[in-house]
Amino acid sequence: MKTKVILPQSLRTLTLLFLLMFLAVIMATGVTSYIATHATVAALVDQRLATISDALISDGQGGLQGVTARVVDASNQRDTADLGYILRGPGGKLLFGNVRLMRTPPAGFSSLDRSAGIAGLTHGRAFVRELGGGASLTTIGETEPIDNYNDARLAIYLLGYGSIVLIVLGGVAAFSLTIGRRISALNTTAMAIINGDLARRVPEGGSRSEFDRQARTFNSMLDRITALMEEIGNVTGDIAHDLRTPLARLRGQLMALQATAIEPVTTRGIRDAIEQCDNILAMFSAILRIGEIEAGNRRAGFALVALADVVAEVADMLAPVAADQGQTLVAQAEPGIEIAGDQALLVQLIVNLVENAIRHTPRGTAIYLSLRRGGGDAIITVQDNGPGIAADRRALALRRFGRIDKARDGGGHGLGLPLAVAISTLHHGSLSLSDAAPGLLVTVKLPLG
Amino acid sequence: MDVLLVEDDTLLSAQLASSLDGFGHRVTVVGDGQAALATVAQTSFDAIVLDRMLPVVDGLSVLARLRQQGISCPIILLTALGRLAEKVEGLDGGADEYLVKPVDPIELNARLSAARRGREWAAPQKDTITVGDIVVSPASHRAWRAGEAIDLSKVEFGILTELARNAGAVVTREMLYERLWGPEFVPTTNLAEAHMRRLRQKLTAGGRNDPILTVRGVGYKIKE
Repeated sequence: MKTKVILPQSLRTLTLLFLLMFLAVIMATGVTSYIATHATVAALVDQRLATISDALISDGQGGLQGVTARVVDASNQRDTADLGYILRGPGGKLLFGNVRLMRTPPAGFSSLDRSAGIAGLTHGRAFVRELGGGASLTTIGETEPIDNYNDARLAIYLLGYGSIVLIVLGGVAAFSLTIGRRISALNTTAMAIINGDLARRVPEGGSRSEFDRQARTFNSMLDRITALMEEIGNVTGDIAHDLRTPLARLRGQLMALQATAIEPVTTRGIRDAIEQCDNILAMFSAILRIGEIEAGNRRAGFALVALADVVAEVADMLAPVAADQGQTLVAQAEPGIEIAGDQALLVQLIVNLVENAIRHTPRGTAIYLSLRRGGGDAIITVQDNGPGIAADRRALALRRFGRIDKARDGGGHGLGLPLAVAISTLHHGSLSLSDAAPGLLVTVKLPLG
Repeated sequence: MDVLLVEDDTLLSAQLASSLDGFGHRVTVVGDGQAALATVAQTSFDAIVLDRMLPVVDGLSVLARLRQQGISCPIILLTALGRLAEKVEGLDGGADEYLVKPVDPIELNARLSAARRGREWAAPQKDTITVGDIVVSPASHRAWRAGEAIDLSKVEFGILTELARNAGAVVTREMLYERLWGPEFVPTTNLAEAHMRRLRQKLTAGGRNDPILTVRGVGYKIKE
């Protein structure tokens, strides 16, 4: 069974999520270790205060005087002189004190800070032991042996963890930038291939890195596809060539026969046969031509083409043909629309669309050819008010040899529209058929660049 | 014309040779590039019809060597493949014409005449062409009949110019399409007829005789 795990999909979200989690963890670690060190130091100081306090009291040996003597002694000893001592006798009378406190802390352990009023003490611990009858011994130790030690420690923490955060941030940024760049290089190449530039390859470095290995694998895949495409092209070319030669002979023989034929029936029969030969040959030419255009090499020769001129040329060319068929051809072109393209092929594209309308519609049909700008595209439409093509058969009309109605066909080899599609695609454009209610509307969209 | 036909397919060469013979040409047939070069070295020809794919030395190399040797007669390349790139390669290599097989003998004959005329016409004395009472000026895009200007469309003018350039010889529809709209242009309607009808109407306005002959199934010819 496939389990569904919802994970963020984009590289950016993943990176941000990782960074947030990383920051949360690093802050938690920092705060925890800061607090823990603090607590450890306090515990060690407490332990020392308790031990020394025990030794000074020594279960009350020598009475209060004995304790006093030991406290005085301790306050003079090098290893215990850093502590503060306040010894109070019965009734709280001060017997000895090397420090002064603003207020007496409660019995047991407590924390002290600057407010305790001891000079040089910023943070410390106090341990108060009741000795009975109001007498008490207070020992005081610093938890911050050096002034502003805690502030310095905080700064060290911030610097340490901060640099870790910075390094990780930089690393992640570099990482996601590298991956992002590689992915977009792959994308650009794939898009170029889709648009017919089969020679395009992903840039690859000579290293053994995963990226370069992936680029190399991707490029070998493309090489293989190109080789296959070329093979297909060669096979098509070979078939067309190999069939052309025998057809050429057949046509030659028919021509020779025609020259010697006497019976009109035979002459007509031979003429029809020659015509059939010519149709097959025209079909081969069209197949080869579509293949040539689909290969995309023609883009190399693209130049700026003024589309209004192309439309005007086609209208001049075909208006008399339409008129002879009792049809009208009207052209309307928005001036100043230019695209990078192959002028001869663009003429052929529009000729094919208009000829298609002329051949497939009855007398009295009005054909409109128009050129306008729309949404970043040059939009060329050929519309007629003839019988149109049923919605479910339109896709068939764009396919090679997808002739809709062979009986009604007014000539041609059924490759006029597929050739128009190939030319549109060569110009990064599209061709679509729709209902002009009544009639057929062919729309060609060619991006302006 | 003395024509050298270089073609390795014996049946095709026999057919073409017999057709060209029928048009009154004297045809010599050879089957490979080496033989073609050897033959041209000994005999001079008015035109050469050269298959692109030949054994031993291919057609393009033969073409290049002939032009290097200063052979300036019209050369028509024949090919089984009709890709534009190859066509351009052939024409750049010094061929006068590039025809895709199968070649209609009538078309080939028309192209041979056109190629020869093309070479003769290459350095015109004037910028106008005169055929009978028709004068065409390709530079100014104007035409006159019996001294009267005729108002022609761009296509009609193009057709008349091609006919006038090849006066007395047949200009095929394919030749017209090629000259007017480029080597790749293929229409599927009777384009040439529609424009020709209008051109004729304009030329014969006022009861003048029709100077253009239709050669059925082939093309048109303007009377010299």
